[in-house]
Amino acid sequence: MALELNKLTQSVNALGENAAKRLADLNERLPAAEALLRTINGEDSELLKKIESARRFRWAGAIPSGEAVGASFPPPPHPARVNLLAADGSQIYPDRHGVAMYYLVNVGSIVFRHGLPEAPQCHSQPEVFYEDADLYEEDGGLIPGVMIDAERDIRELGELARLAQVEAAAAPTVSLVDNGLLLYISLQTPNERLIDEVIRVYLGHLDSLKQSGAAVAGVVDRPRAQSVARLLHLATLTPDEIGEDRLRDLGPFRHINDGLLFGFLRPGERSALFVNASPANLDRYQPRGHTIYFFYLNAGRPGKDSLLRVEVPEWVAQDNAKLDLVQATLLEQCHVSDGFPYVLMRAHELAVVTVAERREFDQMVIGSLIRRGLSPSLSQKAQGKQWTGSGKRQFP
Amino acid sequence: MNEMTIGRLLRSSTTGYVFGCSVPEPEVPLFGMFVKAPAQRGQSETMGLIYNIAIEDDAFVRQMVATPDLPEAYIQDQRLNRQVPIEVSVLAVGYRHGDSYVQGLPPQPPITLDRISACSDHEVCEFTKRLDYMQLILNAPEAPADELIAAALVRAAGCRPPEDRLRFLREAGRELARLLSRDLARLENLLRRIKP
Repeated sequence: MALELNKLTQSVNALGENAAKRLADLNERLPAAEALLRTINGEDSELLKKIESARRFRWAGAIPSGEAVGASFPPPPHPARVNLLAADGSQIYPDRHGVAMYYLVNVGSIVFRHGLPEAPQCHSQPEVFYEDADLYEEDGGLIPGVMIDAERDIRELGELARLAQVEAAAAPTVSLVDNGLLLYISLQTPNERLIDEVIRVYLGHLDSLKQSGAAVAGVVDRPRAQSVARLLHLATLTPDEIGEDRLRDLGPFRHINDGLLFGFLRPGERSALFVNASPANLDRYQPRGHTIYFFYLNAGRPGKDSLLRVEVPEWVAQDNAKLDLVQATLLEQCHVSDGFPYVLMRAHELAVVTVAERREFDQMVIGSLIRRGLSPSLSQKAQGKQWTGSGKRQFP
Repeated sequence: MNEMTIGRLLRSSTTGYVFGCSVPEPEVPLFGMFVKAPAQRGQSETMGLIYNIAIEDDAFVRQMVATPDLPEAYIQDQRLNRQVPIEVSVLAVGYRHGDSYVQGLPPQPPITLDRISACSDHEVCEFTKRLDYMQLILNAPEAPADELIAAALVRAAGCRPPEDRLRFLREAGRELARLLSRDLARLENLLRRIKP
């Protein structure tokens, strides 16, 4: 065994103690935060002025949408017939210690026709990238992981847009991705040209989805975001206090995430809608008519809460029928798979590249190289990891 | 019975094999059914009897079992799209050598992904002209021998013209009496099971 667990006993005890302390601290501070959430007026002009001020400091909180911020909304009725589309992607990053330089993106998708007694349609589409133009940037550096992630995200939404063109004509349709709709690429790379291009293509797919008539939503399980906590913190500041330092430190709201704040939602209920105030949303999505809103949804059952953060574009948020459809279908889907949408679980299953599959793919690559007279091999470092990765030999 | 492919081989040994198939049709595969698989690169065919049909589960489907009022689309997805294998175990009881059948273990088992077909009525009649294969079943520890013999004999009788069925079952009863002469209770139970 490489990890000598006996050397970690004390640290693990301290870790447990620390977690218990943090929880006790949160429980002490949470009631005040919850009380503020219930009383805060989202249309208060003073608060709106504070939000405008905070935006100058790239504040990434939640902007009230007009619904009472502490309100909850019961589950709407589920339609007898509705189409669910879901897509998910996975990737193999380029490995300079591997047998060849390539990266791979695999997107799995499912068309689930609720109300019809037929098996859903499943699809998975892998693509391997190996040309220099795919692998290297202009300065000769290897393509960063963030670019591959963006490629995957674009393909996921593109697949949904493709499916929605067909399916939305037949019945009300909801398209789902297993992540937020707001790409965080702008936080991950300074390359403005890359950010512009990725978001341009991504928003193009949102255009197609909107035009198809389907609703779309991004689902985040066990959300850790503090968007609404930031709003509450902002509400407690005076206009003079609003500045980069005070906005960064959440003070009494530190470590209180939105999941804790919306713990009052009963199974089936959703929270109010909020606009994500992040600069990426307001500077890039909003001008294209796709401002991202979000709400929290308790997709659990009595005795087992399951909070999801659901992101929707403005043309879903402002369309009651589509918004209700998203809430109702998510609840029905989560009912079957106990807290997370069934179709997203299946899309993941269709997309995921397992370790065994990766090994088989590498064998295919090796075969192809050998047939062309090449002698592929792992780097000695990778070879060493294979030799030693299965565990140390035990000596008496 | 017309020949039909009912699955592909997952794993095999000299004494038998396991093949996988999708959701069972009402008529195939069935317990006690005679099936065949190519062997020796198509030079021969192993003959076998289905003795177990197992439907595996996984964590995903176990979680869904408790869901009340599960809509049909979910059930069809799990049955038809997810690769939960339906595993069918076959006991090797003989093989075709040229134009004749040999009742005994085949010289070589079928290999991965070989097609498994149901035997036609004619093939079953030809193979069961001799009844030596019953000894193989009685000696197979993995199969429920008595149930399998009864099911196979009834099935083999059904493949014959009506006027030949009684005679076939009488002969089979005599062979069983010879094989089980020291276990009369078991013999009586088996004879009762194959009595028309």
